[in-house]
Amino acid sequence: MTDRQVLFSALRVAVLDGDDAAAGRLATQALAEGVPALEAIEQGLVPGIRQAGQRWEEGEYFLPELVTAAQAMKAAMMVLQPALDRDDPSSSLGRVVIGTVEGDIHDIGKTLVGTLLSASGFTVSDEGASVPVARFVARAQEFGADLVCASALLTTTMPKQRELAAALKGSGLRAKLMVGGAPVNKGWADAIGADGYADNALAAVAVARELVGRGATD
Amino acid sequence: MRAVLLDGGLGSMLIAAGLEAGRAPEWWNFEHPERIEAVHRAYLEAGSDLVHTNTFGANPLRLATAGLAGRCREVNGAAVEIARRACEGGALVAGDVGPTGHMLPPLGTTTVDQLQRAFREQAEALAEAGADLISIETMSDLREALAAVEAARATSLAVHVSMTFERRRRGVFTIMGDPLVPSLIALAEAGADAVGFNCSVTSAEMATMVREAAPFIRVPLSAQPNAGQPRVTPEGVAYDASPEAFARDVAAMVEAGAAMVGGCCGTTPEFIRQARATIERVAKR
Repeated sequence: MTDRQVLFSALRVAVLDGDDAAAGRLATQALAEGVPALEAIEQGLVPGIRQAGQRWEEGEYFLPELVTAAQAMKAAMMVLQPALDRDDPSSSLGRVVIGTVEGDIHDIGKTLVGTLLSASGFTVSDEGASVPVARFVARAQEFGADLVCASALLTTTMPKQRELAAALKGSGLRAKLMVGGAPVNKGWADAIGADGYADNALAAVAVARELVGRGATD
Repeated sequence: MRAVLLDGGLGSMLIAAGLEAGRAPEWWNFEHPERIEAVHRAYLEAGSDLVHTNTFGANPLRLATAGLAGRCREVNGAAVEIARRACEGGALVAGDVGPTGHMLPPLGTTTVDQLQRAFREQAEALAEAGADLISIETMSDLREALAAVEAARATSLAVHVSMTFERRRRGVFTIMGDPLVPSLIALAEAGADAVGFNCSVTSAEMATMVREAAPFIRVPLSAQPNAGQPRVTPEGVAYDASPEAFARDVAAMVEAGAAMVGGCCGTTPEFIRQARATIERVAKR
């Protein structure tokens, strides 16, 4: 293995182990050694988070392991993002406003999706939990959002996603809507007129790419 | 011995009665006490031996996010009073305690001490208002469940605690990774008078969990499944199990050793009525 491959492998393991201190340190080291930020992301961080996702699927990882993996990825991204922007100022895949709908205080799934979207090259504004419909729309306008992501973890708060879909359509903004959350499924997303649905955080990145992802040269 | 019949879903019944999306059900203890009492009465008429108060989110941490900060005592007191009115015929009032929604590390920064203080405040309010026992439900982190048990035990009321598990590829766990049998044993050792599981899964799946856990648990075991799987429709959420199928699984759960059975999300008085008939039939065998 070349030195670079060793470094990428260490980054991957830092993410997989949820070791945010190591992930940040290795990201700094990568930049110091002249590794392009995009390469460190694509060959270190992304394989790490993918593997964490696989371990979740296999029942080996649980929520704490998955979230700490995402946090480690975020720590590395904090270091790499400025370099990424310098390397290619137009590299953002799109602008995303994300939050949990009003009345719903669940934060974890939404934060995980936000972290992975930003690690994948989207510019993300995380509005937190219990976000009123009006604030989603106002933020989408201010932020120039290409995509709004709304999570609902309760059957009692899901109807807010439908309100949001209607409000976004009515606003005339270009932002598309992706919905998710434990009780949400594709049928609901279609029924309320959302543009996209994802049933896990990794799938959310793929759907976001499909919906609004722009190439780096765009 | 005849199994104790708990009640069914409360939140889903309140939604059917007009609770708006995003509104904390605890508000209705003040605004629509008669609607809550009607749900309690419907379950009692269907055969429940016990009803849970409308206080699932009535711990101080969660009330603060629902616009009810500082009103823990008042909310729990009102809810117990409503349930007590409905139970005048002698059924038990279980003071319901749910998760705080605040996460312990590594997912959050809340401490066990903060959780315990919140649970103590709620448990004391429930006890003071005259609840017959404390029933802790839908816990997914064993540490939080243990904090709630310790706080509830300080009231000297009997304590029932129930966690929510799912079958993963390597066994049955909570979403946090707490395994089924060791978690229930830990809760019983911490002094819970009854332990069990609720929510998340269908009655058929829960019957298999009862079979797995019953041989290892020395205190009464409870099981409160959902009415099947939630199906999302343009009108809202519907659950796909019939009361008949639910009642068949109740028989399986009781025969496998469940001492307390009831329903969680999506179950209605009709589910409880059929479960009552099943319990009587099994008891005669």
